[in-house]
Amino acid sequence: MKLRLRLALTAVAVTVPAVFALVQVEHSVRRRTTDEVIAASVLTQMQSGGRERCESAPDTWMVRTRSQRPPWEREGVPNLGDGPPSGAPNGPSPGEAPGSGPREPGSDGPPRGRTGDRGPFGRRLPPVSLFPFDGRFVSANAQAPVLDDDLREGALADGVGVRRYTKEQDGALVQDLLLRMPWDGGPCAYVLARRVEPADSPEVGLPPLYIWGVPTFILLSAMVLALGPVMQRLRRLTEEVRASSGSHYQQPVTVRGHDEIAELARAFQEARAEIQAQMAHQEAREQTLRDFLANTTHDVMTPLTVLQGHLAAMQQRILAGEPLEPTLMHSAMSEAHYMASLVHNLGAAARLEAGAPQVQHAPVDLNALVSRVLGRHQPIARPQRMTLESGVPAKPTWVMGDETLLEQAVSNVVLNGIRYGRLDGHVAVVLETTRQQTFHLRVIDDGPGISDEERSRLLERRFRGNAARTRDPQGQGLGLHIVHNVVELHGWTLTLAPSEYGGLEVGFTGPLMPPPG
Amino acid sequence: MGDRILLVEDDDPLGSQIVGHLRGAGFEPLWWREGRMLVAGELPDVSLVVLDLMLPGTYGLDMLKALRTFSEVPVLILSARNDTLDKVRSLKLGADDYMTKPFWPEELVERVRARLRRPTLQKDTLQKEQAVVEVGPLRIDLQAHAVQVQGRPVELTRVEFELLAALARRPQEAVTRQWLVEHVLDPEREGTERTLDVHVSRLRRKLGPVKCVETVWGVGYRLVPGEDA
Repeated sequence: MKLRLRLALTAVAVTVPAVFALVQVEHSVRRRTTDEVIAASVLTQMQSGGRERCESAPDTWMVRTRSQRPPWEREGVPNLGDGPPSGAPNGPSPGEAPGSGPREPGSDGPPRGRTGDRGPFGRRLPPVSLFPFDGRFVSANAQAPVLDDDLREGALADGVGVRRYTKEQDGALVQDLLLRMPWDGGPCAYVLARRVEPADSPEVGLPPLYIWGVPTFILLSAMVLALGPVMQRLRRLTEEVRASSGSHYQQPVTVRGHDEIAELARAFQEARAEIQAQMAHQEAREQTLRDFLANTTHDVMTPLTVLQGHLAAMQQRILAGEPLEPTLMHSAMSEAHYMASLVHNLGAAARLEAGAPQVQHAPVDLNALVSRVLGRHQPIARPQRMTLESGVPAKPTWVMGDETLLEQAVSNVVLNGIRYGRLDGHVAVVLETTRQQTFHLRVIDDGPGISDEERSRLLERRFRGNAARTRDPQGQGLGLHIVHNVVELHGWTLTLAPSEYGGLEVGFTGPLMPPPG
Repeated sequence: MGDRILLVEDDDPLGSQIVGHLRGAGFEPLWWREGRMLVAGELPDVSLVVLDLMLPGTYGLDMLKALRTFSEVPVLILSARNDTLDKVRSLKLGADDYMTKPFWPEELVERVRARLRRPTLQKDTLQKEQAVVEVGPLRIDLQAHAVQVQGRPVELTRVEFELLAALARRPQEAVTRQWLVEHVLDPEREGTERTLDVHVSRLRRKLGPVKCVETVWGVGYRLVPGEDA
């Protein structure tokens, strides 16, 4: 459903019952007041001579008088026409009734047409007729209407019986009030006051249409009209949002003003910025992944080619009946070994690039880690006649960290030492703890070492994924960058210095953790 | 030797290689080509299990979990995944060691040996400190502060004895120079690594001709059974 239609229907749905309820409330208030006024006036009338006249001629006594105007109508009309100027509360003074009573026993009431008797809309107030009843609710007057049980019971219980019913033929409202007089016995112990409201009276139906219909109509039109610009702005915003999503959220949405619609536009702008950021992030990740795949393929293919070359050479020698050279064999092994390390490094690089959530921190025993690293590289170092040594504390050295990444980092440094070490060279891993609850792990070699310039370059350059991944001529590219990043990730310190044996000394320093358990 | 080892490995070439290498190293391998849900009593009498995780994560770990409900046999996990979470999970489920593929056969054999050696080592360390350590021709009485080489008593200074005792408490293992300087040399006097080296050469002279105190390149010193000069 359209917003405008829905709003109009809602307004109607709220207004109509409200109007009806108000009319009902007004009717009931008006009736109750009328009842009270009629009762008071009849009592006054009867006490000031009416009783005597009634009792003297109960068979003919009957008063037809104009009804007392209710107070709300009286207030609006300061001039009570021909009423007594003394400001008697009732238009037709009760004093007048005794004269008119016996004089006008017929059907005609007092003369009509006096302006003072007209309501605010020029309506003439309906007359009230009085009929006497004795203590057994029997009237001597033949014209008196028949009393029903409601009236009798009401009069017996409260002194006033009230009944309203609608005359069938013309829809007029008939109001009967049976009043008990403040005396007992006699033919006039009860007086029935009957008032007849014509069908067109405001007390019967709805107030005239122009009273409530016009304001309602004006209100509805105003609402519908006021909705116009709102709808227009909403429609424009919708179009802009559609256009924006169609342009991959490149196109912005205009934000005007400070109301709720502007707020909606602003919220969309924010959502758009968020979506754009997410899309950019996603795109960057995808690009990284594509590059990663391409680089991985390249990086693995190269040593694999070398390995194939070695294997082919071996096969040729075997076919030619020549003995296999141990160096050839060793080169092939070392190439396979390097490839394994490379694949691990690529995996580590992928995790490092993915960021912290991929890093699992758990207690790691560095003693065991050092022993595993040496165990892994021993088969490659031995044929090269390189000695791998390690010295660790007697007790396990527990640190918090990602075991895989840490092992890979230490392994990279050791493997670099082996790969670039000389024949009969050495690589040693020394792990020490201090009283300040820190550990110091050093990897020392007596290889060629690296120049000051390259050392600072390795320490300064941040790992930028692809740039660092290529196998640089020194071969230390990816491996040392991973070392650098792993150390940084753990908040440790990495030092590169010339070792006292002429080679390189790589140091890791970080905090210890208390032993678990 | 002759320890029986159960290998659970579904890849034929890798399985037969490992079997060959284990056999070559003097073990008695038993090869299962597929994982089984083990219940008590089904596990053959083996000293160690080498378990391939096969599919990352699930099957091998389930088997390990079942195995651990009734057996404390050491388990060495083989996995193609170099993943910390996998390692932590396997160790939590009761694995004793974790090896990532690829590995050299020598590395695997070493790890198996280390794992089989461990219980006795633990027993040794449980005895807090042995009263007497014998390394090759050396006999060091840690409580009586007495040292014999090939049955011949040797007189040592306090520092020399402490040095030898420190090495003897961890035979075959390298002890770093820094540790020795901090724990053996008299803290009152200025002790440097140079001083330590001097003490070591004196000690070597006194223990000669047996070469028991070995220099470990870049690290420090180590006590070995040694050989006659």
